[in-house]
Amino acid sequence: MSLSVVNLAAELSIRADARELRRASAWLKRTCLEHSVPLEEISRIELCLNEALANIITHNGTNALLLPISLHLDICTNQIPKAVTLIVSDSGAAFDPLAAPLKPRPKTLAEAEPGGLGLLMIQNLADNVSYQYSDGRNQLTFSVYWKEDK
Amino acid sequence: MAAEINYVDVNENFRRISLSGRLDILGTDSIELKFTSLSVATNRRVVVDLTAISFLASIGIRALITNAKALQQRGGKMVLFVGDNAAIAKTLETTGVDTLIPVVSDAVAADNIALA
Repeated sequence: MSLSVVNLAAELSIRADARELRRASAWLKRTCLEHSVPLEEISRIELCLNEALANIITHNGTNALLLPISLHLDICTNQIPKAVTLIVSDSGAAFDPLAAPLKPRPKTLAEAEPGGLGLLMIQNLADNVSYQYSDGRNQLTFSVYWKEDK
Repeated sequence: MAAEINYVDVNENFRRISLSGRLDILGTDSIELKFTSLSVATNRRVVVDLTAISFLASIGIRALITNAKALQQRGGKMVLFVGDNAAIAKTLETTGVDTLIPVVSDAVAADNIALA
């Protein structure tokens, strides 16, 4: 999208703790519902948020656990397509999840190995995903788009 | 909403396990051990009812795959029953789980596939 008119910009800071994931989810859902984001899109971006936060808590190292995680939410409904964009920022070791190779999908249950699903979910559920490392912070940005009122 | 787990034994080798609530990190942690102990046994057939799951994260999916695989290695079989829970069905499809474990929307069909 070349031009975005942001109807709402909201921020939340959370501790890098599994219990905080639910507070972040509740904030995201409440804010999206207040701005008439369709349930399907809320579900998609909530899953992306959960997986991004789980990855930070699990993989991004000690610094990621010591310092707050910042969430920035933009909701744009005065444009086509409408969009929700979430930026998740943490102070952990630089890690570009988009550069990590996705595991090949197993063809059978016997071949299946645990792990690697979180990034797959983000990439499959979001309509756009990007990453940058800036000022000592990882920034993962993902958006979901929709065209019609649902 | 906390995750909960319950079960009903249809017979010695056939068990229905019902999961409810959020299967995020906290929810999965709270049911994982019990889920494994209830599902993994030699030659057991298991239908896992996901109709009351409100949120399914990758850690919850991992628990499903791990237990389904362990069950299969012991000669058993797991089937996932989703009913009309479209959000959970879509998550399972998005992650390709439906190609590894049967995902069924009809309760009778779920039982039949588990017992086949």
